[in-house]
Amino acid sequence: MSTRQKDENEVKIRGAENRFKTIKTSPVSRRTILKGGVGLGVLASMGGLALNLSRPGSAEAALRKLPKKWDETIDVVIIGSGFAGLAAAAEAAGGGAKVVILEKMPTYGGNSIISGGAICAWDDKFHLRQKLNLGDDSPKRHMEDTIKGGDFYNIPELVEVMVNGAPDALNWMIDEGGARIRETLPRMGGHTAYRTHMAIEGVGRGYTEPLKKIAESRGAKIRLNTQVTWICRKDTDGPVLGVEVLTGKKKRNIGIRRALVLASGGFSKDVKMRMAYNPSLVPEFNCTNQPGATGEIIRYAQAIGADALHLAFIQLYPFAEPENGILDTPAVYPYTGTGYGLIYVNKLGKRFVSELERRDVCSFAQIKMGMKPTYSIFNEKMIQKLAAPKAEIESAIAKGRFVKADSIAELAGKIGMNVDVLQETISKHNKYIEEGKDPEFNKPISKHMIPMTEGPFYAVAQWPAVHHCQGGLRINTEAQVIDIWSKAIPRLYAVGEVVGGVHGSNRLGGNAIADCIVFGRIAGTNAAKEKPL
Amino acid sequence: MKRISLFPALAFGSLLCLLYVPGGKVVDAAKPMKVLRSCKDCHTDINTVMPKGHPAVSGVDIIACISCHVPDYSGKAESNAYAARLHSAHEGPKARLECLICHNWIPGKSFTVFQQKASFGAPSNEDMELFKKIFTSWVESSYIDSLHSRKNISCSGCHGESLPKEGETVENDRCLLCHGPLDKLQTKTTPKDFPDRNPHKSHLGDIACTVCHHAHGASKVYCLECHKTFKMKIQGEAK
Repeated sequence: MSTRQKDENEVKIRGAENRFKTIKTSPVSRRTILKGGVGLGVLASMGGLALNLSRPGSAEAALRKLPKKWDETIDVVIIGSGFAGLAAAAEAAGGGAKVVILEKMPTYGGNSIISGGAICAWDDKFHLRQKLNLGDDSPKRHMEDTIKGGDFYNIPELVEVMVNGAPDALNWMIDEGGARIRETLPRMGGHTAYRTHMAIEGVGRGYTEPLKKIAESRGAKIRLNTQVTWICRKDTDGPVLGVEVLTGKKKRNIGIRRALVLASGGFSKDVKMRMAYNPSLVPEFNCTNQPGATGEIIRYAQAIGADALHLAFIQLYPFAEPENGILDTPAVYPYTGTGYGLIYVNKLGKRFVSELERRDVCSFAQIKMGMKPTYSIFNEKMIQKLAAPKAEIESAIAKGRFVKADSIAELAGKIGMNVDVLQETISKHNKYIEEGKDPEFNKPISKHMIPMTEGPFYAVAQWPAVHHCQGGLRINTEAQVIDIWSKAIPRLYAVGEVVGGVHGSNRLGGNAIADCIVFGRIAGTNAAKEKPL
Repeated sequence: MKRISLFPALAFGSLLCLLYVPGGKVVDAAKPMKVLRSCKDCHTDINTVMPKGHPAVSGVDIIACISCHVPDYSGKAESNAYAARLHSAHEGPKARLECLICHNWIPGKSFTVFQQKASFGAPSNEDMELFKKIFTSWVESSYIDSLHSRKNISCSGCHGESLPKEGETVENDRCLLCHGPLDKLQTKTTPKDFPDRNPHKSHLGDIACTVCHHAHGASKVYCLECHKTFKMKIQGEAK
């Protein structure tokens, strides 16, 4: 495209059809373009087109006309019905807005409903940590752990919002949504304190149902089978105007009166996109996610100027079920049991990493070793500490996920492991607990860790699977989406896994739910406050 | 004024172009067929095709039938052998006849039985195209619409009193009128080996029947999207 200024208000451009035309516009000079005052978008949209900063010719990026009329207008539209979307819907509806959640899948809840159901908060209304005598914690400590775990790539202001808001977020789900938590408070990899609150159900559904209840009781509606296929904006100065949606075979345009909240999750299932940022995440890797975890919403946001960051930081969950990569209830034990003394061993019966290490360290330790799968070894006493319901254990055994034995020898026999090696590994680990030091892997030993001297003993097989995208759209502490020039895009918010920067290079377990609900509430509250168009 | 009165005739005429002869060939638009309103045009003696024990029929068109078989305009969720078999006989592999032999249709306005005032809905041209495709499936396919037709359940059995529009779906409480109540269904499908792997008691919450059970296409167990090794079957699967 070439420009030649005749006077201040006239610009001659070579348009898309490769023909010269003169257009009247607000003063456009090289300086204003560089200052970011006028983007390419203004010029492209003079013919009434929706803003699209890139048109490589693929179907997704086709030229779109800005709708002259909307088929429907809604106060607050939320894309995605997981933790982030539900929390935003609840608060937006509570703030008096008419709220509709658009969910592209035939069921609600995304990854949230199948997640491990563990939320990290430095305190809660029951003061569980104090009650169970599990030591100290503080927002500052939670923040430090999170930033250290993220290798200091985290945006500190965002982490601060999350750790400060987490206890309230949990209490809110309990008080208003009827959520119930287990009488346990695990310490998970990367955390230096016991701060993990487990939903009684042992899965994310234990928190999504209460959130859905709050949202729907306040008037928010969920539309299933409704896929967003574009985010409409006129130019790079103005607000988001609406979305294009696909239901069945019909496309419609929905106008937005107050705000659009993006809560569409990550892109772990989007093999093309995940490999574009991290080529080693080949299709052979299993993935814990639901089929809808793809990155199109991130692209639509980028196409209207949104900035994105940290997209290469994609986490593997180290302990997924080895055959299909499912993060089932048994797969939660390897990460919640570590604070109580659970250990990881390879097929040879040897430990290979500090069990309290971050997820990326645990994942790569396994991948480097090869020899799929590895195992978590634990005992009955630890299960009791985790307040696990008996039925849950029995079901895991019946399904062949947990292997149970009365002795280490029997356990080793059942999982095809060398008895002597396994026995020695466990004895050494028991000694480390006693002596308060792990000379092999430097695991921080705590007095809550239980030596495995008494059976019954358990083993669960595990292997890394692609799990969580730390990267995504850039936001500020008000959950507003920030564009490439560091300006908030009016009326556009983003929350949860679709956002980048909260977790840095590596997310600590339990921080995702905290992130989603804390920022979801902020986005919803702010969305409702926007003056209707 | 003139335009409005021409419209039904035009719509009618355009439909004549789509008449099928028995055997399934589409008639050339340049040669409109005479509208078959009388059963006699195919059935010299209508009584020979009546079910055993049926009283003798003296009339020669649909009016003869509906004097006893009053059309159900309320869309009851129940089987109706007369309605189901009358339609499947004329819309299947043996014969594919134009709806307008027995029905009057004003696109977007009404769809009635010949000479009757009450309407079953207001199908548009697009809706009608979809109905024609779906009828093929309902009369004979491996999908559950066909399984329902064999039990003499036709469109209104699931869709209620109004002919459905494109994109409409059937809600759970409708299915459960016959296949429920929900707890009875859940008990019926509880697997013996692992009771918690019950497709009707999903950990994804209360999900729509239509997530798995597709009437006019292949049904597929949604659980298997993630739980690839579960042993779960469903009627009406893709062959």
